[in-house]
Amino acid sequence: MKDLVEFIAKALVDHPEQVRVEQLEDSRTITLELYVAPADMGKVIGKQGRIAKAIRTVVSAASTNERKRVVVEIVQ
Amino acid sequence: MRMMEAAGKTVEEATQKALAALNLPREDVSVEVIAEASSGLFGLFGSKYAKVRVSEIVTPDKHMSDFLAGIMQHMNISGDVDTKREEDILKINVSGSKMGILIGKRGQTLNALQYLLNVAYHRRFPGDDCRIVLDVEDYRLKREETLRTLALNLAKKAARYCQEVVLEPMTAQERRIIHTALQDNAAVSTFSQGEEPFRKVVIAPKK
Repeated sequence: MKDLVEFIAKALVDHPEQVRVEQLEDSRTITLELYVAPADMGKVIGKQGRIAKAIRTVVSAASTNERKRVVVEIVQ
Repeated sequence: MRMMEAAGKTVEEATQKALAALNLPREDVSVEVIAEASSGLFGLFGSKYAKVRVSEIVTPDKHMSDFLAGIMQHMNISGDVDTKREEDILKINVSGSKMGILIGKRGQTLNALQYLLNVAYHRRFPGDDCRIVLDVEDYRLKREETLRTLALNLAKKAARYCQEVVLEPMTAQERRIIHTALQDNAAVSTFSQGEEPFRKVVIAPKK
């Protein structure tokens, strides 16, 4: 799941080498924190969060077999 | 992009070696000759091997199908990715098992993937006004038929009860299918209301 977010994000940014995803887990949710270069923030969020929303949709489709809820957060 | 250098007695031999190692057909690579072979003096002294650099040609189409295949791999979905150019439209079709996951509720996931492919494409190849249409197992074709039937049924209802019928929010492409299906209808007219992404079609009886 972590790799999926990283893979997608790398295709969208200008500085793929600065893309990093951290996975945090508690009993109910898996949180994927996406870190990108400050200049690339807009490229993974998009107008009115459209790109971020699309990434979340794809991730939640991929996590249908996961027991826990998967959340993607874009961290500054 | 994959590339490698190879040496051989002739340029051709070196190229063949590289192609075998990369496992690529001749038409998918570009060959750059680094050093020509020379037989040296009387074929004895200073004979040199030919050296070539063979690199894979990554076309936009290949780039996008690799990107989608990569996403599917990370999602644990196996399937075949096919690309086809139709002027300014790059059609990508996926077939295989577990395709329901790729489509999602009312094509939600499919539309998200299509959007991401378009964004990635234009980041990589700016200035190219190509549009990517992603389809899975003819889902869009079937959805179009469903929407057309739905439009005709609701048009009848709107005309019979002299009442506006408001449809659920749809994407621009889907709204267009409804509008097109009813544009020549004598009993109703159609328009859209609301803001994206909740914009929806209204079928209104003609007075």
